[in-house]
Amino acid sequence: MLKVVNLFKDYADNENTTRALNDVSCEIKNGEFVSIMGPSGSGKSTLLHILSLFDRPTAGQFLYHDRDVAELTDEELAKIRNKKMGFIFQAFNLLARATVFENVSLPLLYSDIPVGQRAELVIKAIKSVDLEDKIYIEASKLSGGQKQRVAIARALINDPEIIFADEPTGNLDSQSGGAIMEILAKLHRSGRTIVLVTHETYTAEFAERLIKLKDGKIFSDDQVQKRTAEFFK
Amino acid sequence: MRFSDAATTAYVSLRHAKMRTLLTMLGIVIGIASVILMMSLGSSAENLIVGQINSIGSNNIYIEPGAPEGVGFSESFLDQMSIKTLKAEDAEAIAKDPLVEAASPMIYSTGRVSYGSETKKLMFMGVTASAYVIDNWHAEKGRDIDEADVRSFARVVTLGKKTATDLFGQEDPLGKTMQIKNITFRVIGVMEERGMQIFQNFDEYIYLPLTTAQKLLVGIDHLNAISVKAKTKEAVPQAVDNIRELLRERHNIYNPNGDLSKDDFKVMSQVATANMLTQITGVLTAFLSSIAAIALIVGGIGIMNIMLVSVTERTREIGLRKAVGATTKDIRQQFLLEAVVLTVSGGLAGLVLGIGINYLIYLVLSNVLDIGWNFSLPLAGIILAVGVSTLAGLVFGLYPASQAAKKSPIEALRYE
Repeated sequence: MLKVVNLFKDYADNENTTRALNDVSCEIKNGEFVSIMGPSGSGKSTLLHILSLFDRPTAGQFLYHDRDVAELTDEELAKIRNKKMGFIFQAFNLLARATVFENVSLPLLYSDIPVGQRAELVIKAIKSVDLEDKIYIEASKLSGGQKQRVAIARALINDPEIIFADEPTGNLDSQSGGAIMEILAKLHRSGRTIVLVTHETYTAEFAERLIKLKDGKIFSDDQVQKRTAEFFK
Repeated sequence: MRFSDAATTAYVSLRHAKMRTLLTMLGIVIGIASVILMMSLGSSAENLIVGQINSIGSNNIYIEPGAPEGVGFSESFLDQMSIKTLKAEDAEAIAKDPLVEAASPMIYSTGRVSYGSETKKLMFMGVTASAYVIDNWHAEKGRDIDEADVRSFARVVTLGKKTATDLFGQEDPLGKTMQIKNITFRVIGVMEERGMQIFQNFDEYIYLPLTTAQKLLVGIDHLNAISVKAKTKEAVPQAVDNIRELLRERHNIYNPNGDLSKDDFKVMSQVATANMLTQITGVLTAFLSSIAAIALIVGGIGIMNIMLVSVTERTREIGLRKAVGATTKDIRQQFLLEAVVLTVSGGLAGLVLGIGINYLIYLVLSNVLDIGWNFSLPLAGIILAVGVSTLAGLVFGLYPASQAAKKSPIEALRYE
C-alpha cells in the first residue's frame, strides 16, 4: 500500500539545513499494524507526515498503491487524505466550540457524500465509539478519553483504509489510553491498516511490527508480539 | 467543498464567536446606516425644496434687484437693499411681453400691527391685482385688492387667514379698522388658507395696495420684487431672456454679451431655481454620504483586522481541516465567505437601522414640527448598500483568507 524508497527529507532554516530523514526505505502492506518509534529528533513524525501526504520528500520515491506521489497535485493529495485516510492526534485537535456531531462530520464537508446521507453516517460513527449520549455536547466539555474517541469517530467517518495515529495516548491516563488502544486494535482486526507513531514502548508493542528510527535512519524493523489492553488495566 | 457547505461552515464559525461577530459587524452597520440616512435625508430635503418651489407654479419667474448669482450672499443682500432701479413701470412693460401672462410688482416689509388690545409685528406685502392672477389665490371672504385701490392709494388690507384669527379672534374682521405703523386701514377681505410655500407661511401676512405700502408705510418708490407668470412652461426660458433684455434697456445697462454680473437685477425661473437647489442638495448629499462612506471603510478595515486575528487564532483548525481533506481553495473560500457573511449581515442590519432612523425623523418633522417632509427610500442607496457591503467583504476578506489558505497543515497543527 505505502512504499518509500531511498527517502530523504531536509529542512532548510536560514543558513542551516537539517536532514530529518536519511535514505529511508520501507513498505507498509494492507492490513498491517505498524508502530514507528524513536527518540525526539529521530524523524518519526517526519516519516508520518510524508506517509500521510502532509508533506513531500526532498528526494527519493514514495508510492501510494503503486502511484508515485510526486506526480499528484496538492488537490489530489487532499482528496486522498479525505477519502482514504483517517487521523488521530495527541492533542485531539477537535473544534472546541463545536458539538461532537459537528466535529465528527467535519471530513464529510470535503467529501462527495450527499448531504442527506451524512447524519446517519455521523451517528453510526459516534455509536461505534460509545458516545451516543454525547452527540450534541460541546467538545470542550468532554474528558480527554472521550475527546480522543470523538477524534477516532471523525477519523473513521469516511471509511478510510488506513489510520494514522500520532501519539494517540500521549495526553491520556493509562486507563483511557488502554481504551483507545483497544479501539485501534479492534479497527485493525476489522481489516484496516494502522500506522502508529509513539515514543512509549508499551504502546508501540501493541502493534505487530515495530520500526525504530534513529537520526533519520531505520534502526530496526521487526515483527513483535502484540500486547493487549490488559497491560493498561 | 460545496458552496452550501462552505456557507454553512462560515455561518457556524461566526456563530461560535457571537460577541466578536457582533462587534466586528458594528462598523459596517454604522457605515451603511449613515450612508442610507444621508442619501434618504438628502432625497427628502430635495423633494421638500423642489416641492415647495413647484407648489407656486412651474411657469413662474421671480425678479429681484441686486447682484446676480456668483456674488457672495452678504454682498448680494446689501446690494438688494441699496439698488432702487426696479420700478412698477418695469412690471407693466414686462406684462406686455407676448410670452408673459401677468407681472406683479411687490414690496414687503414688517411693521407693528394692532387691533384693539392685540399688537403684533407682522409682515405686510404691497401688491397689485395681478398678484392674484399669478398665484391663483383669492379672498375667501370679502374681496381682493383691485386696480382702483392701487390707483387711489386706498388704505385697505386683506388678511392672511391666520392673521385674521390672531388679531380678531372669533370676530368677523370685514369692515373693521386696524393700525399698521399707527396708520388706520380697513379690512376688505380674508384670504383663502394657503399654508407654507417656499418656506413662508402666507396665512400670516397682510396684503395692501402697492402704492399705499410704498408711500405710506415704507416711503419708497422702488420694488423689492416682481413676480411673473409665463404663458406656458416651455416659454419660461425665452421669457427669462426677454425680461433680461427689456430690463437692461429700461435701466440703461449696456450688456451685449449677456454677462449677468453687469445687471442690477436677477431673474430666476422656478425651474432654474429648482434645478439649482436640486444641484446643491445633490452635492450636499454626495458630500455627506462620502463622509459616511469613510465610516464604512473604517468598518471594513476593522473586519480585515479581526479576520486576521481569527486566522491566527484558528491556525490549528486550519491545519485540521487541511488534514481531513480541505484544499487551499476550500480554506480561502471559507474565510472569504465568513468576511462576506459578516459584511452583508452588517449591511442589511445597517439598512434596517438607517431606514428606521429615517422613518423616525419623518415622523418628528411631519407630525410634530408640521413640516411637509416626505419619507424617502432611495432605491439606488439600498442597492448600493447591499452591493458595497458585499464588495467590502470580498475586498477586506481577501487578504486574511489568502493568509489562512497558505498555512501548511504540519506547521498549523503544531501551532500553540
